[in-house]
Amino acid sequence: MTLSLVLQAVFAGVTNGMVYALVGMGLAAIFKGSRVINAMQGEFSVIGAMTTVLLLTKAGWPYPAAIAGGALAGALVGAFIEVAFVRYMAKKNASEDSFLLLTIGLALTLSASILFFVGRDGHLLPPLGGEGVLIVLDAVIQFHALWLIAIGIGATLLLRAFFHRTTVGLSMMAASIDADGAATTGINVARMRTFTFVLGGVLGAAGGILVTPLIGVDYQLGLNLTLKGFAAAVLGGLTNPLGAAVGGLTLGLVESLAIIGISSSYKDVVAFSVLIVIMILMPQGILGRAGRRGG
Amino acid sequence: MPAEPILSLNEIGHRFGGLNVLRSVTFDVPEGGIVGLIGPNGSGKTTLFNIVSGYIRPLMGTVAYRGVPLLRDSIQKRGLAGLVRTFQTPQVFEQMTVFENVMVGCAKLTRTTMLQDLLRTPAARGQMRDIRELAEAACERFHLKGLRDLPAASLTAGQRRILEIARAVVGKPRLLLLDEPSSGLNAQEIENLRDWIVRLNGEGITILLVSHDMGLMTVAHTVHTLYFGEIVASGDMATIQRDPRVREVYLGV
Amino acid sequence: MTSRLFWIAVALAVWAVLPFVVPRNIADLLVFTGIYSIAGLGIGLLLGHCGIVNLAQATFYGLGAYASAYCTVMMGLPSAVGFVAGAVISMALAYVIGRPILRLTGYFLALGTLALSAIASALFFEWDWLTGGTLGIGGIPKLDLFGFVLDRPSRYYFFVWIVAFACMAVARNLVNSRTGLMLRAMRDSSTAAASLSIDLQGLRTRVFVVCALFGSLAGSLFAHHASFVSTQSFTVDRSISFLLIPVIGGATSIPGIVAGAVFVTFLPEFLSKLGDIHQILFGLALVAVVVMLPDGLMGAVGRIRAWRAARRGGDAG
Repeated sequence: MTLSLVLQAVFAGVTNGMVYALVGMGLAAIFKGSRVINAMQGEFSVIGAMTTVLLLTKAGWPYPAAIAGGALAGALVGAFIEVAFVRYMAKKNASEDSFLLLTIGLALTLSASILFFVGRDGHLLPPLGGEGVLIVLDAVIQFHALWLIAIGIGATLLLRAFFHRTTVGLSMMAASIDADGAATTGINVARMRTFTFVLGGVLGAAGGILVTPLIGVDYQLGLNLTLKGFAAAVLGGLTNPLGAAVGGLTLGLVESLAIIGISSSYKDVVAFSVLIVIMILMPQGILGRAGRRGG
Repeated sequence: MPAEPILSLNEIGHRFGGLNVLRSVTFDVPEGGIVGLIGPNGSGKTTLFNIVSGYIRPLMGTVAYRGVPLLRDSIQKRGLAGLVRTFQTPQVFEQMTVFENVMVGCAKLTRTTMLQDLLRTPAARGQMRDIRELAEAACERFHLKGLRDLPAASLTAGQRRILEIARAVVGKPRLLLLDEPSSGLNAQEIENLRDWIVRLNGEGITILLVSHDMGLMTVAHTVHTLYFGEIVASGDMATIQRDPRVREVYLGV
Repeated sequence: MTSRLFWIAVALAVWAVLPFVVPRNIADLLVFTGIYSIAGLGIGLLLGHCGIVNLAQATFYGLGAYASAYCTVMMGLPSAVGFVAGAVISMALAYVIGRPILRLTGYFLALGTLALSAIASALFFEWDWLTGGTLGIGGIPKLDLFGFVLDRPSRYYFFVWIVAFACMAVARNLVNSRTGLMLRAMRDSSTAAASLSIDLQGLRTRVFVVCALFGSLAGSLFAHHASFVSTQSFTVDRSISFLLIPVIGGATSIPGIVAGAVFVTFLPEFLSKLGDIHQILFGLALVAVVVMLPDGLMGAVGRIRAWRAARRGGDAG
């Protein structure tokens, strides 16, 4: 257990953790805004990443534009899902289970669509900041990873500002806490719900786009990210979307540190076990207050 | 020579967050009696019920049932010992029929294992027969026969209340906790309820009753007044109504 | 009453004749329908009677399949041992994992079971010294009933479906029993159920164990049918398919489970004729059912019947 091994694990953990944080924040935002657990959150990541890949390689767009296109794709899919399905089911007072089954069905559909339209192969994106790496005490971290972490932190801060300072953000919080009360103050609750799905879509897409240069994206990545994003959100306390940032970092670090010395293929097993344990022992997360318990 | 009280509350205290909900609540419920709890909204009556029936563990104090402290006994264990409660909004099993609701009340009287049920052994079949018989008798008794096969969701508030009581009574309780049983009922239904309380008490079921309805409360032998978590007056209904503190609690606040 | 018996007799007759009149690949699918009915039955019990979404069934399906494969191929034991070993391991695991996990409710529980399935899938893949990984275990022998070898779909069909009918009878016993009453009470109002001394935690755990048993049984039957098992059959997708069975067909009715199993086995097959787009259509079909038929197909049938009865009543009155 050398220092450089640990440091390497920390680097990997923080990097992955940021991805989980982004996906998790999107999931928590959707949950906070609509009480829907979005089991297809990871698919936003895949859609965002794949769109960026296609815009970059097939349509020849410049990288920044392609990234914007990917984020937009996430936003549009999010909006579409809310308008086409969630709204209808909410009006019919569908049960929590039904919404979960809906998002599971959508996850299946989207994953199959990616498989159909893009095929089985994984795709990569160019890393931000070039191919270079930073070496600290024999531990390696790519420049892209540094960019990822920075963007992740930036996104968290922006999100915080959005929820606490902008009218739209505050309205979203209000609408989720008390829909009727919000409606009486003129807030369009349905539109707010659409916004939360858009937000979730963008955050998910961002996570996908940023992780692709490191591990590539394929049609199966979605489920993995959904579960880890959910773990991040639960760790941070589902009542606070920003908690997912802390949750994601924690998850990433635990995951990476736990497999030092064991094969890295157990990474997922560790992450999913953490999820189960946290749900049972600390359902309000490490940050959350005693909010809504255990589903 | 007084018999041991069936329920003994001693220095019960509880807090939610920073708010003291109950403070030093102490009283006994004599076996075979009817004891009432009155008090304005938020005085802690339902919390007290939740503590006695096992839904909440009190931060302070003890509850003793038939002389034995309940400590950490589960809701189910208390029910098996004869301590049963109803809820402010009748919790009927909405998707089950009235008859099935009553049958569930009988479930605790028998003990089949899941394996016996899976294999439909003679023991399992026999117990189902017994449950059906008991439920039939109860439906007859509580005048539910006409509603027997209706889903419980379609019942009126008054009918739900009777169903909930029938379901609780068929399990042969010793102590029945009734939480605001008159809420949502019209005058006729409250009269009916009152008769039932007297009748059931006559058969030996001790009753602890929480209610806003002073007319219904006259059925109680002793009434305790709860105000912001503390008992401020106790006695029979006539005494209570004359007590200046009670007046203050209800009119002065 | 007799009309109902008549239709049941007709259905049985059709069932008995079916494997002989359909092409072999359809007979093969019908065997799968039977196997999936068994797995789906357990999920249906949890969903319809306990309100629990269980996305872990592929775990126990896999355990049953690998137990059968390992016992017969690696250890040369009779196939009955495989069935029993798989069942015992599955039930034990379900009990140990179920106790803590079933304290969760709602979507936490659903996602907990999903995580469990993902862990199992990863371990099936990682522990290839036990499972053969993606290469799997092959050469699983066909079942041999006292000399009568079930080596054709038309023969295995009867064995599988008789086991399926037995499981359905057992499930039906449970539903109509005292335990069934308590389960439905727990589903409708766990607060009230607790006040009536129903052991919620114990019930949930025991039904979860029964569900795992059914899953394992289905897995063992699958192993002897396919003769080859590998990790691809036991992924989270498979768990989702099993969940679809009661969701699509209707969780509280046994014909519903069969309908759901038919849907899940036949629809992908038919859609595959349309090319690779079939998986997308399958997902969309699921979404459509969830959105428009919250009680599944059987629920829709029930509602149509009720609507027709009301119309007739209105006309007569």
